Amino acid sequence: MTAVVLDGIVLGLQFGLLGVGLTIVYGMGGVLNLAYGSMAVVTATVVSITMRSGWPAGPAVLLGIVTAAGFGLLLNLTIMKPVYRRRGEDRVLLSLLLTIGVAFIVDGFLVWRYPIEALSLSVGGDPVLILGVPMRTGSLLASAITILAGGALILFFRATTTGKAVRSVIQDEIGARLCGVNPAAVRRLIFTLSGALVGLVAVTQSMTSPVPISAGFEITILALLVTVVGGLGSIRGAFLAGLILGMVNAMSSFYIGAYVTTIILLIAAALTILLRPSGLFGERT
Amino acid sequence: MLEVSSLCAGYDSKDVVLGVSVAVGEGEVVAIIGSNGAGKTTFLRAVCGLLPVSGGGVEYEGRSITDMAVHEVARVGISFVPAERHLFPEMSVAENLALGAFPRRPDPSQLSLVFELFPRLEERRRQAAGTMSGGEQQMLAVGRALMSRPRLLILDEPTTGLAPKLATEAYESLAALRTQGMTILVAEQQVPLVLDLADRAYVLENGSIQMEGQAAELRDNPTVQRAYLGVA
Repeated sequence: MTAVVLDGIVLGLQFGLLGVGLTIVYGMGGVLNLAYGSMAVVTATVVSITMRSGWPAGPAVLLGIVTAAGFGLLLNLTIMKPVYRRRGEDRVLLSLLLTIGVAFIVDGFLVWRYPIEALSLSVGGDPVLILGVPMRTGSLLASAITILAGGALILFFRATTTGKAVRSVIQDEIGARLCGVNPAAVRRLIFTLSGALVGLVAVTQSMTSPVPISAGFEITILALLVTVVGGLGSIRGAFLAGLILGMVNAMSSFYIGAYVTTIILLIAAALTILLRPSGLFGERT
Repeated sequence: MLEVSSLCAGYDSKDVVLGVSVAVGEGEVVAIIGSNGAGKTTFLRAVCGLLPVSGGGVEYEGRSITDMAVHEVARVGISFVPAERHLFPEMSVAENLALGAFPRRPDPSQLSLVFELFPRLEERRRQAAGTMSGGEQQMLAVGRALMSRPRLLILDEPTTGLAPKLATEAYESLAALRTQGMTILVAEQQVPLVLDLADRAYVLENGSIQMEGQAAELRDNPTVQRAYLGVA
């Protein structure tokens, strides 16, 4: 039981960070980025290939995350331009259509070029006993990195002027502009950050289990579930929903079987939405 | 200080403001009065860059700000307080004020100036803006606008949604700002209140200026009295 809970936490932390990366983009301007998971597999591909060609893990991971961040920035500077010119539902729909197109192209290209590629970072060392449960060092390192990243993110949003400016745009874009905040600059920053976050999640995920190049859509859908349960646009909602869904995932794959976990996750998400249509923390930060 | 010449603006290529010229001198308080739908809000939004200008121009201290985006206008020394206030509801009073100083860090002396003007805000500095009363939100909106040390304060209907007593208080704080030398441009439907504060006023109806003059003169003008002051 303790082992399952600990697994759930390890997974849940990563789900949380995954959700945050997607939810901040939505909160910024009502944009849903369905190419989100594709940015993760771009990182996985870059890290895997560079490491096979002899790069040490550190620089390879850094390059992978920078590539995903650059990918995010590129999306924001290109196909998002027409999206930002729309308002309300039009904007959401157009962003869905355009980013799903990008996802098809990127995922298709990667699967065609590197069909059997998968990123798997092995972290050496003996298992460490936590509450009497032997935990793999990979899981612990992944959790530590995720907690650090999450903490840094919260600090950034709460304590820095730039972070406050980002939240101001999420809460009231006109108010933010009146204060001298340039929403376009904030969006650039957030799209870049979103790419870096999902790239980081791909890296930490690969410390516990391989991330196949074909996992793009799966990651996007997982992130969407976390985001919707947490409340679109809510950072703390995403963290909380990530932990809950991670726990659900670990429980169901332990007691029922791994093959039904996706269905159980969907049911959990559907239930949340039925009970609280705007998610745990609808439209907040 | 502010020179608006034959400004045209509106929504979806249909102009609501049709060639309005308004001038505001340094240290002056200028009012724009007119009934609901006269174009006051559209005019102010166009001046501040929230709406595109379709004709005419806006000059601030001798330089054109006609095509500036609103966040750029905010950085040249003009603060706009819209009628809807546009506060950050989930953030505390202190955070709202801090953002008013963006991109700089909030200046402590300016902060104490705001708290002096609105002691209420200091008491409530940790409270979320969205949970405050209408009057307090109005104070916060003005306070936030002051944090950037603007030289020109533009307000749209600062009494929106306020009970008469609070509306009077709002104008008392504007009067206090005026004695500190702040230049103010304010649009208002509560004509008696604003004419007591202002040096000069413009009457805006159907998108163009119908009358202009010293506030005292307009107060005595029979047409203005009939239309806006409830004098039969």
